[in-house]
Amino acid sequence: MHLRERISQINWFVFTSRAALGLIVGALVFYAVEPWLPWNNTARPRTVIVYGFSILGEVMTKGIFPAFQQEWQTRSGEHIEFIVSFAGSGTITNQIVLGVPAQVGILSTELDAKRLVQQNVLRADAWKTLPHNGTLNYTPFVILTRKNNPKQIHDFSDLTRDGIGIVHADPRTSGGALWGILAEYGSAKQLGASDAEAEKQLAGIWHNVVAQASSARGARTQFENGFGDALITYEQEAVYDLKRGKLNDEIIYPRSTIESEHTVVIVDRNIAPADRELVNAFVAFLWSDTAQKIFAEYGFRSVDAKWNTDFVPIEKPFRVSDMGGWDQAKREIVDALWKNKITAASPQ
Amino acid sequence: MIATPKRSRIPRGLFPVGILLAVMLPLLLMPLAAIFVFAARSGLPGFVAALSSPDAQFALRFSLLIAFLTAFINGILGTYTAYVLSKYRFPGRDALNVVVNLPVAIPTVVVGTSLLLLWGPIGILGQFLVPLGVSPMFMPAGVLLAHLFVTFPYMLGSVKPVLDELEVTYEEAAYTIGANQLQAFRFVVLPALRGGLFSGALLTFAHSLGEFGATVLVSGNLSFRTQTAPLYIFAQFEAGNIEAANAVAAVLAMLSFVLFFALMQFNKSSARA
Amino acid sequence: MSIILTDLTKRFGEHLVVNRVSLDVRDGELFVLLGGSGSGKSTILRMIAGLSTPDAGKIELNGRDVTYLPPQVRGTGFVFQNYSIFRHMTVLQNVEFGLRIRKVKTKERARRAEELLDLVGLGGLGARFASQLSGGQQQRVALARALAYQPAVLLLDEPFGALDVKIRSQLRASLKEIQRQLKVTTILVTHDQEEAFELADRIGVMDAGHLIEVGTSETLYHQPDSEFTATFIGGGNVLVGRREHETIRLGSTTLPLPRAGHLADDGAPVRVLFRPETTLLQAERFAPDAGLHVLGQGVVVERIFAGALQRIVLEVEGLRGVRAVSPRVSYGQKATRVEVIQTAQREPNASFAPGAKLWIGLRDFHVLAPSGLKVLLCASDDEGGRIAAEMGSRLAQATHGPATLLTVVSRPELVAPARTRLEAMRRDLMPRVANLELRVRVGTSATEILLEAQEGHYEVIALGQVPDRNGYRGLGSTARQVLEQAEIPVLLTRSPEGKFENILICTRGGEPGKTDVVFGGRVARRANAQATVLYVQTPQTTDDEQKRAARHLLQAEASLSQQGVQCKLKILDGSIVESILQQAKTDNSDLIIIGAQAPRGRPRLRWQNLANQILGSTDCPVLVVPMNE
Repeated sequence: MHLRERISQINWFVFTSRAALGLIVGALVFYAVEPWLPWNNTARPRTVIVYGFSILGEVMTKGIFPAFQQEWQTRSGEHIEFIVSFAGSGTITNQIVLGVPAQVGILSTELDAKRLVQQNVLRADAWKTLPHNGTLNYTPFVILTRKNNPKQIHDFSDLTRDGIGIVHADPRTSGGALWGILAEYGSAKQLGASDAEAEKQLAGIWHNVVAQASSARGARTQFENGFGDALITYEQEAVYDLKRGKLNDEIIYPRSTIESEHTVVIVDRNIAPADRELVNAFVAFLWSDTAQKIFAEYGFRSVDAKWNTDFVPIEKPFRVSDMGGWDQAKREIVDALWKNKITAASPQ
Repeated sequence: MIATPKRSRIPRGLFPVGILLAVMLPLLLMPLAAIFVFAARSGLPGFVAALSSPDAQFALRFSLLIAFLTAFINGILGTYTAYVLSKYRFPGRDALNVVVNLPVAIPTVVVGTSLLLLWGPIGILGQFLVPLGVSPMFMPAGVLLAHLFVTFPYMLGSVKPVLDELEVTYEEAAYTIGANQLQAFRFVVLPALRGGLFSGALLTFAHSLGEFGATVLVSGNLSFRTQTAPLYIFAQFEAGNIEAANAVAAVLAMLSFVLFFALMQFNKSSARA
Repeated sequence: MSIILTDLTKRFGEHLVVNRVSLDVRDGELFVLLGGSGSGKSTILRMIAGLSTPDAGKIELNGRDVTYLPPQVRGTGFVFQNYSIFRHMTVLQNVEFGLRIRKVKTKERARRAEELLDLVGLGGLGARFASQLSGGQQQRVALARALAYQPAVLLLDEPFGALDVKIRSQLRASLKEIQRQLKVTTILVTHDQEEAFELADRIGVMDAGHLIEVGTSETLYHQPDSEFTATFIGGGNVLVGRREHETIRLGSTTLPLPRAGHLADDGAPVRVLFRPETTLLQAERFAPDAGLHVLGQGVVVERIFAGALQRIVLEVEGLRGVRAVSPRVSYGQKATRVEVIQTAQREPNASFAPGAKLWIGLRDFHVLAPSGLKVLLCASDDEGGRIAAEMGSRLAQATHGPATLLTVVSRPELVAPARTRLEAMRRDLMPRVANLELRVRVGTSATEILLEAQEGHYEVIALGQVPDRNGYRGLGSTARQVLEQAEIPVLLTRSPEGKFENILICTRGGEPGKTDVVFGGRVARRANAQATVLYVQTPQTTDDEQKRAARHLLQAEASLSQQGVQCKLKILDGSIVESILQQAKTDNSDLIIIGAQAPRGRPRLRWQNLANQILGSTDCPVLVVPMNE
């Protein structure tokens, strides 16, 4: 009797709306918790944690990782997984310094590897023991312009003209941007210009920079979104899009440009002894024919010339070693010119 | 019982309304609409495919999980803090009052940095703890820690005003009637706080769901491990996968709308009661 | 006895909110604590309920010591001014709450709650929420809730304070009836005297943490003991006269000294209370057989018409110089004023117009209990000041008198720190002396003390003594000036410790004193002390002097026992000083009182020497009384 009275007092609208709310919340909680529930916890596969610089995202996740997973599966019968993070080379270097659990790092410049040495993360020149001194692959720096090149840009020197907007990655966080600076300066030198003329070209280009992204990939996204008239970036990106028929822009090959070298590092402190063999196998795999072929398919120039037949030849390519190595180039060009003279002089 | 306010005459000129719309449209509404327009452009199959990629799924679930945990833990912590700050008088109470509200004023990036400098491998505590294998940074626990920090004031802010207004005599009445402190809290204080608790939890949940600045620093941005939905959106956007980014963004936006309307609805109904 | 409070004391920080309150509330009684805001009445209630812990004292409920028990187990029902109805519960759930906590069965619970709701007149409203009830109804719910589990004691803290007048009187009636019906011992706290009169079996009047007086409404209205009650309850005229044998002198008139009640000492101030409504006015002289006490002729200065009644203020030339406690003296007022209330229709209005000369007759008057000695504590910023404050406050405590802490500074900018110091002192002394005022004066020490002593009508000045290089000195210049010029007794003391149980009154060897004995008697009576009256014969004393002295001693004994003081007489032979010290030792005296003759020629030297010699050779406090005969 009491109960019936109580039931009759219930406000059914309130009751149903509360029940509905409860159900929705319950469903959301279940959805969120589901992957962590015990029955889903069937023996977690072993993992390799890879931090890579930005433009590696696609080639790694779609090409290299599946290939290695397959090879490891056939070799040992074990399924492994990759945990990855892609960001500007400088960013991932900082993250590794701060202690993210990266086991393998792929950096866009050797300079970042040197920074890891400075911070006591790596032993000096640890990567030099890897094949090709740790260099994974190359890609020259090119200029991307809008379709049909409306501003008639044919070389770095054209980028100094007034009225041209350039999208550039930020040298503070992006390795690609450092390569860009070396290309912009070094190409003039390679073509016979004096130091002063080369400096003038670098300054002229930076005068025209209208947008900076934290990574080369970010700069590309900005350019795609309509910023600027020209983008200085890795050839790989443009070539890869071209292959897939997705390139809306024009690739301009300068007469002379730098070929960036990408460095692989193994972060020993983040590798448990049991995983050592797996990580080493993965790193060795990176220089295998399988992997190098995949890199070439995704637009990277291989360390092995036999995969590079499809690429447009460059008139006067050069490497950072032609500029006295990274230490000197960084000191004399990036720091002394770009940082202290050019960005300090031009208010942005 | 409730006095109905006299209906005021509606002013005829719609000019101010027009101005308001002209400002609001480009400022607030159009960007939000853009997310959905963009999502619609690639069609439903594309949208579903983008959403059902394992890393997107992970990011969404992880974000929700963290948001639920944050709302739950801060619900308890915030209520407790509010209770102590509101009912007890002790030296340093005013200072504490400021401190617990500080996370609102601190940029979330600073929160992330400070957490790293405390718990990270080079941090004040971390340099001792990490060698022992205790390291919340770049782990889900670190993300939770950051979210607890950043959203702490929201629970407090919703509960404390209610507690402040709830005179101590209500509890005292319960005491004299025979209730112990726990019973007084359970039967007298807690029911009075219901509204504050609900809106506080909702606010905390919503903020946690959208937290970016601190998370990006302390998570290490590892897909399938610590990548929350906002981080996923940012990473995908940076990588140029605008469809993938936009799909998750649309889901987040929808969730936020629902939460917000729930909150509005609740406030309205509790204001009527 | 149902509720017994013993020396209940509570401080909030530095503020003494409840100061040694003792109270017995009888079984089934409705007791009202009446006082202004901040008087400590609510704090007492909260301590009884256990919502606040006393700093000292004891609370017993039905014979059980509950002082430190938590509120849950005390069995008190508490009703708050703001109702404090639980908003998320229905009325019924509110009332049941106590039973629910006590795990009473649902059925029993509902039955009891319904019963109580009927009792408070809310039958049928059990399903409502607080938001659907008026304030009066909410307070009825609160009452039912407090009564639900049959508390031993019902406590109501300003329960009707937030209600409007009409509902208030309805609720009062309900409460009175419910309380009678349930016979539950009840304490109600209020600031509204009308409410107190209407409800209370007995009323306790509170002021500044003190329970001033307890009594029935009628007693407190017509025969209050204290000045505070007389002026706080109802309007009243309180004039300060002086006892002259069997009469009270009020300016040029006298009133007969009532036989009953407290008797002031002869010559001591007497406070007379008469209510405005028991006072008559007429143009002609009152007939001698009218049974009225005639106060004299006054001039109407103000008339306020208030419907049925009119309030008339008169200035009475015959009362010039008589201090009025109430009505308050206004600035520039010449003669003492008296307030009278007359019914409006009795006399033609014109006769009460301002300027009219009228005779004032009292149908009734009441003499307030004499107050204790008013003590001035000379609390200079040194050891002597501390000693004076300590010992003087003990004297004030023993005689239940008010006291003032005084310090003198040389420059105006030192006033603030000096005041801070006195505040700290007051905090320490508050438990001893309730009525403790502070005063800081600027100027030279001796002069300002003298001025303050005269202006403040003090009855004793307390001075501390500290030794210098040559040990203790006798009377200082300050004491001498006060004695000679202000003619006010001075208490000189070396030690801050002491009590007043044995008092040695030394009448002088030569002429028999009177003021010293009377004053000593006052101290002894107030402090409830034993008195010894000592007379010392020297070889130089003549027979004639001896006879006079014997007669004087017998008179002293008579007047002391009339004051209600136990006393013994003693006559010693030998050196005056030695005999006094000897007697003080045998009696274990706590205080030596010596008379000091007014400065006239040779005797001046004599008493100064006497005082100096005694002061120099005893640690016992010495009270020097100036005599002007």
